[in-house]
Amino acid sequence: MMNLEIAKKVLQTGIEKAKEMGRVCSFAVVDENGWLVALHRMDGAPTPTVDIARDKAWTAAAFRKSSSEVSRYGDPRAPGFGLNAQNWNERLTTIPGGLPIWDGTRLIGAIGISGETPKEDVIICQNILKDIFREERDLHPERRKPRKKYGRR
Amino acid sequence: MKELTLELALKMLEAAERWARDIAGFQCSIAVVDKSGAVIAVHRMDGAGMATTDIAIEKAWTAVAFKMPTLMGSRWLDPRNIGKLIGDHAMGMIGRGKGRLCFIPGGIPVADEENEVIGAIGCSGVPSGVGDISDTTVSQAGITALYE
Repeated sequence: MMNLEIAKKVLQTGIEKAKEMGRVCSFAVVDENGWLVALHRMDGAPTPTVDIARDKAWTAAAFRKSSSEVSRYGDPRAPGFGLNAQNWNERLTTIPGGLPIWDGTRLIGAIGISGETPKEDVIICQNILKDIFREERDLHPERRKPRKKYGRR
Repeated sequence: MKELTLELALKMLEAAERWARDIAGFQCSIAVVDKSGAVIAVHRMDGAGMATTDIAIEKAWTAVAFKMPTLMGSRWLDPRNIGKLIGDHAMGMIGRGKGRLCFIPGGIPVADEENEVIGAIGCSGVPSGVGDISDTTVSQAGITALYE
């Protein structure tokens, strides 16, 4: 279960990491259902990054995978094709920078970071997960199985 | 105190949270926005409803947009004033501001020494009408922390 204490710790660590890298970003933490728990914007970060960080966190929590992986649904050979064109949810994003937080086999929430290049956002995310949740990878171990290839038999 | 920084915003949030938890005894969401209405920090306390974050942000946005507490604006939406010749109502406010306007009491602007509005704080989730315990007083507790 996500609570404000964990969320604050995540945000504090994130701000430290961003300062180490000399970057300014926005950080959002959502609970397991994608609802906002805490959100910080560092001084100097552009204002739209607040909403983008929140969108990334929502996407990561709702799909239970990193927000960049959701772009897989834009592949016409994949079963989820059509999600991108449907525009059913204003929070859906496929920009990298949102990662789910796992506690064992349970999803407890997600982080979304926005402000710098997507690559740096993901690096900060992964550093937070590594520091706080001792996770070597952003995905749950059970989900590390190689993916099936679609479209070819 | 020309600009509301993240550090100051967190100080306000801490004080407001402490007040809401220890004195009011209700869980709520608190948001701080800067002078352009952009969110600086939002916290949702454990147990507060999931919609309260958005409402807290909207209250803070409205407070900074009108440079006055939302408590004063809530008077405009009083249905008892409809139909009076010189009615003090503004029902046209409903739905304005791209849906961000929110005249529920609980948002208070923050001013610096020169009386310039530099931001606002908004709170949502505390039931009103329980003596002095309301969203507005939680926000006031946050503002008081600036002057300590």
